[in-house]
Amino acid sequence: MTSLERVLCALGGEPADRRASTLALSLYGARLTGCPVREYFTVPRRYLEGQREVVRLLDPDILFTPFVLPFEALAYGGEEVWLDRFAPNVRKPPFRDPDLAEPLGEGLLLDPGVGYLVEAARLLAGEFGADKPVCAVVTAPVDLPAMLLGIETWLEILLFDPERAAALMDLSEDHFLRLTAAMFDAGATFVACPVMFANLRLVTPGLLEKSILPALSRCFGLSRGPVVFHHGGNRIEDHLRHYEGLPNVPGFVMDPRDSLSRAREILGPRRLILGNLSGPALAGTAPEAARALASEILADRAADRAFILASGHADVPFDTNPDTLRAVRQAVLDAGAVK
Amino acid sequence: MKGGNTTVIEKLKEDLFSLMLDAERERAVAMLLGFARGRGFQAAVNDLLEPVLQRVGEDWSRERISLAQGYVAGKIAEDVLLAAASSHGDLRLDVKGPVILGNVEDDYHSLGRKMVGVFLRAAGWKIVDLGNDVSPAAFVDAAVEHGARVIGVSAMMLTTAENIRAVRAELDARGLSGRIRLAVGGAVFKLRPELVREVGGDGTAASAIQAPALFERLWAGEPESEVA
Repeated sequence: MTSLERVLCALGGEPADRRASTLALSLYGARLTGCPVREYFTVPRRYLEGQREVVRLLDPDILFTPFVLPFEALAYGGEEVWLDRFAPNVRKPPFRDPDLAEPLGEGLLLDPGVGYLVEAARLLAGEFGADKPVCAVVTAPVDLPAMLLGIETWLEILLFDPERAAALMDLSEDHFLRLTAAMFDAGATFVACPVMFANLRLVTPGLLEKSILPALSRCFGLSRGPVVFHHGGNRIEDHLRHYEGLPNVPGFVMDPRDSLSRAREILGPRRLILGNLSGPALAGTAPEAARALASEILADRAADRAFILASGHADVPFDTNPDTLRAVRQAVLDAGAVK
Repeated sequence: MKGGNTTVIEKLKEDLFSLMLDAERERAVAMLLGFARGRGFQAAVNDLLEPVLQRVGEDWSRERISLAQGYVAGKIAEDVLLAAASSHGDLRLDVKGPVILGNVEDDYHSLGRKMVGVFLRAAGWKIVDLGNDVSPAAFVDAAVEHGARVIGVSAMMLTTAENIRAVRAELDARGLSGRIRLAVGGAVFKLRPELVREVGGDGTAASAIQAPALFERLWAGEPESEVA
């Protein structure tokens, strides 16, 4: 089976030759090729070269476009920060005054950072897309204003200024739909969307029902392709009932602290579930421990055809021991076929 | 009579808690100001606001309520403290400290720091807030200038949390470690609690509402048995 067939089996709840698996190894390609991080995350071809090495090392069943959500915010301005062993981040949000935040329209795709993301997707899909799904990682429309203005300002607006919140949500929806359309045009198989501001650990129940879920529903429903809901750094097992009705969402990346069994109970037997390793935690995990953990998860999900072993939280850190990653893959191979 | 009064207070606390959770900032502030008009700001803070904030903090640390609800609680506290200060009433502000707050160098995520500041003020602490992107020398200079025994440093991300090491190094270099203690906080410390020690922190708190208790312990020089 190819990776694509394996993932489609998981999506359709069908048996497969082995468990589909993936780790978020966007940054890790820079380590494998020795490419300086700044070059890796500005030159699409360097990114492709890094992902080639990821495939050589681990042969994951899903490849990811650059996990650099800050580029989306930096298209509007602000200051970036580059460090040797990390993906770039937003040092200073683009806007202090929310009224200055205007949609970029077609200009979004002309921004160098966003252009890099789309071109990297095109190169990945061109080389690997026939055999491996390419997942484009895109900022959730309900989270983009937090990156543009800072979390505090977005929270304040969401809570106390519904008119301004609606205007910012319009901007975000336009952004999301333009970017996801470009990613699908470039050959992405699906989009993964880390969502923070749909979690009741961040927002109130009133905001979730009245503002957040309707916005997500509009955006996901209008997306040109499927959107996998990523937990966004918070547990979502207890929120799945809120999310399960969102359109065009074939599956969920769970928080490593979530119970996959409980998630399966809530979602029913056919909805795709991805998890349950923590990408950042792999940096501090010895190979044997990683193998044991992955084996435990795989044993727990042995009868679950609609499950993909994947890492959640953020990207796997640069300093992670490659033997730890190989150990995860070995656990997948040891687990055998999905019957 | 005393029992009746207690019942009334308990009912008001319950109402205030509900208003906070429903993000009804204006109604909550109106209720507290109404109480203060009758019994003074000190009673409004001691009898209503503080115990309700305590409850919010406990629920927040157990993830029973959201960041937004904690934020609203902080805004309500801030509104009432501003009203108390401008009324020149009976509330004793700035009776503890001072302590220094700021976001570490290169960090511009101010939400956590501001919330910590609000809850510290509500607990009577005098705050010297240095804002975002504060250099290690500026933190230590301010602590020396104001006679602060605690510096609170906020960092949201791993990349900026690493910069806290330089604040610890600055304290060490000036021979002030132990005399000036370092409280650290931010989202990354919840995900990676081992970072508190790694970057040189003396302690942290699970939420902004629990910061006053942390600062009390650090100010008193008590060892933090469980910094994570």
